[in-house]
Amino acid sequence: MNKFVYLVIFVSIVMGLGANWIINKAQNSIDIPIIKQVPEFSYLNHKGESYTNKNFNEKVTVLDFIFTSCTGPCPIMTFNMENLYKDFKGIEEVQFLSITVDPYVDTQDKLKMYAELIGVNDNRWQFLRSDIDDIKNLKRNGFMLYADNLPNGHSIKFILIDHRGNIRKYYDGTDKASQEILKKDIVYLVNEIKT
Amino acid sequence: MTIFRTFTLISTGLTYLIIFIGGMVRVSGAGMGCPDWPKCFGRWIPPTNISQIPDYIDPAKFNIVLAWIEYFNRLFGALVGLSIMVTLFLGMKYYFNRPHIRWPLIVAFILTLFQGWLGSVLVDTILNPITITLHLFFALIILILLVYVSQQAYYIDNSRAENNSKYPSNMRSIFCAIAIVLFAEIILGTEIRGGLEMIRKDNPMVESQFLIDMLGPFKYAHTILGILITVLTMISWYFLVKKSINPSSLMVQTSSAIVLLILVQIILGEMLVFLEFIPIIQLFHLWIASWILGLVSIQYVAWQRSTLNNE
Repeated sequence: MNKFVYLVIFVSIVMGLGANWIINKAQNSIDIPIIKQVPEFSYLNHKGESYTNKNFNEKVTVLDFIFTSCTGPCPIMTFNMENLYKDFKGIEEVQFLSITVDPYVDTQDKLKMYAELIGVNDNRWQFLRSDIDDIKNLKRNGFMLYADNLPNGHSIKFILIDHRGNIRKYYDGTDKASQEILKKDIVYLVNEIKT
Repeated sequence: MTIFRTFTLISTGLTYLIIFIGGMVRVSGAGMGCPDWPKCFGRWIPPTNISQIPDYIDPAKFNIVLAWIEYFNRLFGALVGLSIMVTLFLGMKYYFNRPHIRWPLIVAFILTLFQGWLGSVLVDTILNPITITLHLFFALIILILLVYVSQQAYYIDNSRAENNSKYPSNMRSIFCAIAIVLFAEIILGTEIRGGLEMIRKDNPMVESQFLIDMLGPFKYAHTILGILITVLTMISWYFLVKKSINPSSLMVQTSSAIVLLILVQIILGEMLVFLEFIPIIQLFHLWIASWILGLVSIQYVAWQRSTLNNE
């Protein structure tokens, strides 16, 4: 019986060391390499203020492309973005951007109404617009996303951008499980600013 | 030792291991390491490279470490299922006429299949907290069934066991109370774990030292039940060791082991509250709880056998 007890203790210690090694490996397994720098742009937000790529500085940004009259995936994307916006309440280092792919319809007033409808009441989430060709160009060449058939053919990706304006990772903006990963990655990038 | 008894012990040991591994998946946050089921990213061997991810799965979900942790749990689960299946087969072959062997094995085997299905539900519901708790609950039920069968198999080979021991006859209510409170305590513990996770989900930036304060009254209930378990097991130890005539060495040693493990549990529990939530401590806190449950089950069966012998 004593032999059995020693065996159990020995095996437990070995398992503990092994498990600890694995858990550490899991905790350090987030790896978000830099994909590329977002090129320069200068747009207007839903309040009519200028927004440029310089506004990426010192903030972690989640960006998507939507249009307000869209009935396809956009409501789900906006719903998910809204959850992120609420979860990161009070965290000034995290901002959200939605760029309209239908600037003819989505005027500044329309975007402002959209923001109010969702309940956006601070600068942490901004809605941007510009000339359609600018947007197409930024989407295709800046973010390497499909931009041929706008507005309907817009991408459903959420794009994670770091505090130096680098694109770090893309997420399916309609997928619930992807949102949980995005949340963890945002925290990881915020900690990158602090270190 | 007969081949059947060997397999009851292997199955019990493997079940203890899978509970440990399952806990490891939980504390390392690898539950969604494979976003599909039963395959992992559409493959029977998890991908090693992001280019192997199929079109219909968001590549953002790929993390090779988490994928392998989760997949190892599934593979090991399959191994446990296989072992229980062999044990069931041998039990049917040699001891078909013994309901104490037959029924626990049949139920354990069905529950193992159910556990696999529950694993797929976990992935589909993105780790629904109630389903996680159920997954653990049924693992513990399977464990108790296998411990029971192992002990019955032991008694078949050692028919004189507990013949000379006489324990107090009114212990049933204490055993029942310990079992109920132990289960409640484990469920409460998982609620604490789940509650902390929910808080972190809604407040991703919260510092871990504030987490415990944001938790509701669960933590007090867990402590109160913990004290209750300590008292109950002390009483049980007193009756089984001090107030019994010629208690078997199995009974004496399990009694001491339970008291010792309760002490370890108190220390680990306090470490979790006062230090940080160190994952490896969480893991052992749960695993030792499953040990205590198994030991109490052994005591109950031994006590019952002795009581029946003495009637």
